[in-house]
Amino acid sequence: MAEKQLQCTLRAAEHQKAWFAQLREDVFEKQKPYAIVQADMPLELFHALDVPVVSNQWWAAMVAAKRLAPHYLDGLNALGYHDGLCRYCSLSLASTIAGDPAQAPWGGLPKPALLSARLTCDCIQRVFETWAAKLDAPFFPLDAPGASELPPRWWELSRYRWNELFETHRLDFMVAQFHSLIRKLEEITGSTFSLDRLRALMEGVNQQEQYFDEVREMICRAPQTPVRMHEQVSNVMAAQWLRGSEWAIAHAKAFRDEVRQRVDAGVPACPSENLRLMWVGAGLWHDTDFYTAFEEQYGAVFVWSMYLAFGPDGYIRYGLDHPLRALASRTVSFNEQLHNPPWANEWIVDQAKRHRIDAALVLEPLGTRPSATGNLFIERALENAGIPVLPVVADMVDARGWNGLEMRQKVHTFLERV
Amino acid sequence: MTPAISALTNVYLQRPVRQRDRPLIGITSNTVPWELIRAAGFDPILLSPGPQYKPSAEVYLETVFSQRIKSIFHFLISNDSALLRAVVIPRTSEQEHKLYLYLREVVRQGVEQAPQPILYNLLHARSPEAQAYGLERTRALQFTLEQLAGHAIEPDAFSAAIAEGNAARCAMRALLQQREGPAPKLNGSEALALIGARYFMDGAEYALHAQQALQEILARPPLPGPRILIKGPPIDTPDFCAAVEAQGAIVVAEDDWWGSRAAGRDIDAGMEPIQAIFEKYYFDAPSPRVFPAVVADAWFQRNVSEVDGVIFHLPQEDDIIGWDYPRLRAFLDDRAIPHVMLRDTSPDEIGVFVRRLENG
Repeated sequence: MAEKQLQCTLRAAEHQKAWFAQLREDVFEKQKPYAIVQADMPLELFHALDVPVVSNQWWAAMVAAKRLAPHYLDGLNALGYHDGLCRYCSLSLASTIAGDPAQAPWGGLPKPALLSARLTCDCIQRVFETWAAKLDAPFFPLDAPGASELPPRWWELSRYRWNELFETHRLDFMVAQFHSLIRKLEEITGSTFSLDRLRALMEGVNQQEQYFDEVREMICRAPQTPVRMHEQVSNVMAAQWLRGSEWAIAHAKAFRDEVRQRVDAGVPACPSENLRLMWVGAGLWHDTDFYTAFEEQYGAVFVWSMYLAFGPDGYIRYGLDHPLRALASRTVSFNEQLHNPPWANEWIVDQAKRHRIDAALVLEPLGTRPSATGNLFIERALENAGIPVLPVVADMVDARGWNGLEMRQKVHTFLERV
Repeated sequence: MTPAISALTNVYLQRPVRQRDRPLIGITSNTVPWELIRAAGFDPILLSPGPQYKPSAEVYLETVFSQRIKSIFHFLISNDSALLRAVVIPRTSEQEHKLYLYLREVVRQGVEQAPQPILYNLLHARSPEAQAYGLERTRALQFTLEQLAGHAIEPDAFSAAIAEGNAARCAMRALLQQREGPAPKLNGSEALALIGARYFMDGAEYALHAQQALQEILARPPLPGPRILIKGPPIDTPDFCAAVEAQGAIVVAEDDWWGSRAAGRDIDAGMEPIQAIFEKYYFDAPSPRVFPAVVADAWFQRNVSEVDGVIFHLPQEDDIIGWDYPRLRAFLDDRAIPHVMLRDTSPDEIGVFVRRLENG
């Protein structure tokens, strides 16, 4: 496990562990409701009604980090789910089916009051319906129409002109679905939804993402990156899952402050930084040491992943007169922004230039098909911008087909050329 | 083979995209409303080119895309697509939405040319919101097609298109009846061709040929062999049916839009046309995105009691139906209906299963 250079990183990990322990205690001892959701859901609606959420992708990353994915996925395959099915979004389901709280991270997931997901790819409704049946809990889907108006430089419009950026009919539809979801959450909690509370949360999210924006700017401008990519991810995502909360805002500020101190003091993450690398795609959760494996020999440091950069560009929404609509605009196009042309390729090239990237590694997750699209456009766009690309064929959570040594050797060969 | 059967089979196998009386509009799935395009004055044609189109598509489409989508993509960026005024792509699968985005992108970047892509945002979750949205998007599609045609769709045009579509459905259902019951007269590999030809033909012309084909089929003796239902990703060639039938079984049904579910019910000619067209495609068209499972599974559950066995055909590129398989398998086990799951076309495995059915 790579060293943690920031105090914030340690505090983020401690907080997540304590938060989850509290969640389990609240569910088991006080019968409080919580929800399991896809990462691209409007978590703010749940938070506004005091329903904690566990993200499917966060839990999958936890399972993968504990090296439990092969065991759980083997179990899923043994039940007849063939090995060509997506793994990132189904690993948490597999952990539920395995049902071994002694082995599961932090005692495992308790029974939720609700599962909810956006129906982006065609398998998500199947994963969540199966999961809900296994947990004997209701599943609430949000359907997902496709985008048909896609101005390439979306991040220049998303903060102030979000009402124009995302098609009116898609926003209207998402808001209509939000109302149904809110009714469901009110039914579960017995509480009444407050638009003012949502607005306050959204303002908090803006504040939190502004701190992340400052961190990103420091990484762009500092002679050497002050914070490694995997520590960016730990700090950002710990806050994103609780976004808009007091803790999340305070943590984002503390993260910003600590990074600023390092920049002011001239403390780089890797003093021998010589090559700045970009990681495109979800994290390689079963082998995070991969991200520091090339520092010693090449001074090659991963400085960018989507997790920090997407915070300010994907989440900030100014003008909160209609907070539900603003939230809808944050929710409707996650997939297009991160995985589809022209939005993904245009944004990633822009990010690469701003971060002075020397080379990019692009995850090609064959075992998680919906995340595997858009990559050829991204790779070509990076190469056209003069940035060499190495595709990394691997699954983000499934270590069964992963040969870490072989892949590190491929990267060595690639970096020799760079 | 009679002239009608021969004509339909040839159309199905060749899948021609050639000039007709009206301008052509390509469609990529069963969920694009044929009648709406027809009423606007165009000839809708399903795009289903062969695998010869695959290599160039792989410059843009990742390996995770299906052969079918790769072939369509390459066809659309080839000179052969110049006959199309536009292509309507429904939000009926994630891969089709990405096909739409990729197509737009290669044109935006100026690296390829393609017909105008039109996204038809038909959703398939059964919710009041998705239903209302789908109706609104169907009206938006009407507007887009009218703009493309340069005129509004007249009520008579709607009536004529709906009548033509329904006549074709009626003819398809009559053919499908010859696969039903204890003594089917039409095997799967032939049925797929006779039914699938509809996607590449004028509705009226198809209905005429299909009625003639039916007369010959009615005169045939029943076909012997265990009756098989196939469940898996849509089967757009007769190859798998032929492989099953080579082992002595008869494929009498497929739970997909190329086979037994191609026709469905008629469009209600007594309703307001757009509402009626939308309801047909929203409530009665198979799609991998139909939700919840109780709705998606209903056809399968109704029809498996009419067959001797079920083959789950889940080829290597499947990443969807594999999620349904354990649930559907449990349904069959509860009813003691024999089944097998195949990930490729293995004559040995098919043969073992057919022998099992023959031996009771």
